[in-house]
Amino acid sequence: MATPTLTKTASSRSWKVGVGEFFGNCRGVTSCPTLSSLVQYPARKGRARRLGLGSNHPVPAPVGVRTRVPGTGGHQGILPPLHEVLNALGSLISKGQLQTHLAASLTRSASGFEIAVVTAVVLGLLVAWYRSLDRFLNPLLEVFRNTAALALLPVFTLLLGIGEISKISIVAYAAFFPVLLNTIAGVRTMDPLLIRAARSLGLSNFRLFQKVILPSAVPTIFTGIRMAGTSSILVLIAAEMVGAKAGLGYLIVNSQMSFLIPDMYAGILTVSLLGLLVNYLLVAVERHFSRWRTAVGSQSL
Amino acid sequence: MTAPGYPAPKISLRHIGKEFTVRPTKENPQGSRLTALQDISLEVAAGEFLTLVGPSGSGKTTLLDILAGLTKPDNGQVLVDGKEVTGPGRDRAVVFQQYALFPWRTAAANVSFGLEGATGLDGRKLSRSQRAEKAREYLQLVGLAGFEERFPHELSGGMKQRVAIARSLAYEPDILLMDEPFAALDAQTREQLQDELLRIWRSTGKTIIFITHGIDEAVYLGQRVAVLSSRPGRLKQLVDIDLGDRDGDVDLRSGAAFVEHRHRVWSLLHEEVLRAQEAGHAKIQPDGSAPDETWDATPQTTHGKAA
Ligand SMILES: Nc1ncnc2c1ncn2[C@@H]1O[C@H](COP(=O)(O)OP(=O)(O)OP(=O)(O)O)[C@@H](O)[C@H]1O
Ligand SMILES: [Mg+2]
Repeated sequence: MATPTLTKTASSRSWKVGVGEFFGNCRGVTSCPTLSSLVQYPARKGRARRLGLGSNHPVPAPVGVRTRVPGTGGHQGILPPLHEVLNALGSLISKGQLQTHLAASLTRSASGFEIAVVTAVVLGLLVAWYRSLDRFLNPLLEVFRNTAALALLPVFTLLLGIGEISKISIVAYAAFFPVLLNTIAGVRTMDPLLIRAARSLGLSNFRLFQKVILPSAVPTIFTGIRMAGTSSILVLIAAEMVGAKAGLGYLIVNSQMSFLIPDMYAGILTVSLLGLLVNYLLVAVERHFSRWRTAVGSQSL
Repeated sequence: MTAPGYPAPKISLRHIGKEFTVRPTKENPQGSRLTALQDISLEVAAGEFLTLVGPSGSGKTTLLDILAGLTKPDNGQVLVDGKEVTGPGRDRAVVFQQYALFPWRTAAANVSFGLEGATGLDGRKLSRSQRAEKAREYLQLVGLAGFEERFPHELSGGMKQRVAIARSLAYEPDILLMDEPFAALDAQTREQLQDELLRIWRSTGKTIIFITHGIDEAVYLGQRVAVLSSRPGRLKQLVDIDLGDRDGDVDLRSGAAFVEHRHRVWSLLHEEVLRAQEAGHAKIQPDGSAPDETWDATPQTTHGKAA
């Protein structure tokens, strides 16, 4: 995969206007706290040192506080106005950079997510069906599911390097458990009468899984898939921030390190939009497969 | 025990017995065994409509499960057309009390469920359109034309039960096993479905075993009524029903023959309830055991006592 490089000519970009506006608009802190609260500073202090920025530099800027950045010769906002962010987004798109990063992130999360969904659904069906398998695997699953995926990120990096495999694996890991647990719950809560009915119609075990157990668990499974979608994006962005040469997480962190603050926000905005879109799609699919459920809630009244 | 005048039996039950293990509880830490069915022998002729009544817990559903091949008996065997039943088969279909429709499938898809993977007369698998055609046909038979695309939650209880009956019929079994299929319905719908079932039975010639706790229903539908004793379930008596000419427009249920047969079955069942009380069965414990059970000591003096 081609590694996109960010333009290092930060100061040559015309966003000093924006800085002025930033200070102009944001004199009262109350008018602009929301976007700035999105900014995260993971391990920034260390990075700043490594980059030779001087340790006396005010690093983790608190919400809504302006900061000075040496080397650009002026005041820099940590919260540029929206049109700056959109401009940056536009130029990232026109240069094809955003697409490259987005594609990198999407490829990783889609692969990891797919692996997770397929394995978790299959394993979930088996665990729910075969009590002995459940007794055997349950302690193990309990330990793993209570270990936050991000806590294992260093382990994945250590074992699998910083390449694609480790990223796909951590996404798969994060997405695996919500799907698995919901699949098990979906099968466990199914009406045993339906199994008797299907059996009385002469279904084999495999057909029973395929035609009765799976469809009846689908709505519950999709709740898990939707949860997995959200967490797989989250984990992927974090993983890309730590060690990657492409991807939205990399775009965000790299822009920040290069003081391309509007680019950073453009990346964050893209992540938000992606999250919304993924959730919207999954909800639509879930709704499609759950049509048969009796409507509950205000609509049924 | 074949009723006279019937040809070779379609179904024979031979000394069927079934026990259940009762899970250990706090009061009864070892658990125990519960005899649900004891030595049931019965023969049903091809094309016969047999109804089965018995007190609650007498093992009716258990017997039906054994017939369907969903449960294995501990003793005895079930023969269908002379061959032993070892599991569910295409020759038998079950209609459950609680409809048991697949809620994610439309009415038509529910009806064609049993046809997926089934082979037609030419030995090939039925195509999608053939299955849809069959589903439409059987939904029409139970009076549900036009409801093909409805999901179960969009149907009334009576409609759901019709779909369930259509599903069993579409499977084209020789034998229809029905477990209190109309129990959850209101009186009007029940009577309507009873008449439809009789019409379908006459036009298709199926062998039907129909469980009910309604004495009226048993007498109205059945050519014979099998009465089970209270737990452990044994075959107490077989009552032949002859209501005379059914084709007329008269209200059969108020005719003398009906009242007489009804009383006969009622007496047999009532006797069971009394006997259970005398034997202390009113004190059946939650784990299913009745400590002062004296079944084998009680003489069977029920024959001929009724009516
Ligand atoms: N899986 C099981 N484990 C233990 N006991 C069981 C099991 N299934 C049924 N029984 C017992 O077997 C007896 C017969 O049950 P069954 O369901 O056949 O009764 P029934 O005649 O259908 O009653 P009803 O008219 O109330 O439906 C009951 O005492 C019940 O408690
Ligand atoms: Mg029952």
